[in-house]
Amino acid sequence: MDVEKENPFRGRETVIEIDEDKLIPCPVCDAVNIDKGKKNSCRRCGCAMYHHRSFSTEKSWAYLLTAIIAYIPANLYPMLITSAFGTKEESTILGGVVLLWELGSYPVAVIIFLASIMIPVMKFLILIYLLISVKYPIGKDKKANKHKLYYLTEVVGPWSMIDIFVVAILAALIHLSSIEILAGTAATAFAISVFFTLLAAHAFDETLIKENK
Amino acid sequence: MKLENEDALDNFIICHKCYTLNEEHPIKDGSSARCSECGNVLYQYDSRLITNALALSIAGLIFFILANVFPLVQMDILGSEQFITIPKTIFSLLDSGFYLVGLLCAFLVFIFPLMIFVINIILFTLLTIKRGEKLTKELLILLSHVTPWSMADIFFISILVAIVKLVAFGQIHIGISFWALMAFVVIDVYITKSIRLSEIWMLRKKILLEGERQ
Ligand SMILES: [Zn+2]
Ligand SMILES: [Zn+2]
Repeated sequence: MDVEKENPFRGRETVIEIDEDKLIPCPVCDAVNIDKGKKNSCRRCGCAMYHHRSFSTEKSWAYLLTAIIAYIPANLYPMLITSAFGTKEESTILGGVVLLWELGSYPVAVIIFLASIMIPVMKFLILIYLLISVKYPIGKDKKANKHKLYYLTEVVGPWSMIDIFVVAILAALIHLSSIEILAGTAATAFAISVFFTLLAAHAFDETLIKENK
Repeated sequence: MKLENEDALDNFIICHKCYTLNEEHPIKDGSSARCSECGNVLYQYDSRLITNALALSIAGLIFFILANVFPLVQMDILGSEQFITIPKTIFSLLDSGFYLVGLLCAFLVFIFPLMIFVINIILFTLLTIKRGEKLTKELLILLSHVTPWSMADIFFISILVAIVKLVAFGQIHIGISFWALMAFVVIDVYITKSIRLSEIWMLRKKILLEGERQ
């Protein structure tokens, strides 16, 4: 990393000497910035970067706890209500997966299981681990691994919305007087849970991984 | 590490995936640069990026409109014909009292995807005619806030899952909008995943510098 070689202004007094560790990306526009502490604002887009250093993880914790709490009723209440010819059948998220499996729809059962159970739980665990590990000296693994974990939650996180969309499509399509599919209470709880998990991930300050050595 | 000024930081890029600082080098037209640590694509160079992106954004918007006007999926259940469109799916949630879920879905699968394409069309038009220094900046900032919340691709996969679930109920017909939505999703994924916002910021900077020189 030698910028000086091609530097036409060599010898001028304006040369800045900085530590590579002091460089952070803007969360909005990705521009590389020099970390100036609490008064950071991006040199390219002007957004306020990580202004809330004094309560850096609290916001993310608050969103995450909301998401985890909402995930409980999401699993206890019915997600889908099928009423056909007077008989009403309710199924929870897990119940729906089991039913699909028994009916032989293995690929769909796997997709719903991954999207509604695996991804949310994995995201909770990863975020809890990251939030704790930036405050306390746990997790001896490389910092790069933590960044990769965070990247993973960002990429797969939105896919947990699949079941909500599927329920919405089914309910919109099938609503006859004799056969009707309705969304259940769990749909609202689950949507809240996904929304707040996404917020928690966005609120997580990735530069904290770097600072915690 | 020494820098002549803060602007020289534009020659560096931090990998999204592993957070490694990489130096940017000019690369061949049509090729892409990868992270020295993890191999994740950092940036690409395509001399026709603005023209292509503008054409794709316009095509995408047309497909999006088509995807919303006609039925996505039609179905015969007990002799009666049922169909869905994206707006119908959202309104059906609102009608049955699921205001929160309905509102969330409205933003995730309708408002945000639509916004992204309208913003892209304005943005790439401004970059083509080399105007609107302030507006392009605001649009780029807005774009980076909206992009993570656009879920048209996930909605499309959800339709496929719903179709598989419904096979037992009756005859299913794929509507015109289904294909339009598929085309839209392909363009949407291409634009939001393969054209990195940092590349557009750099293009904007280049255009502004050229403008100053003249
Ligand atoms: Zn910025
Ligand atoms: Zn990397």
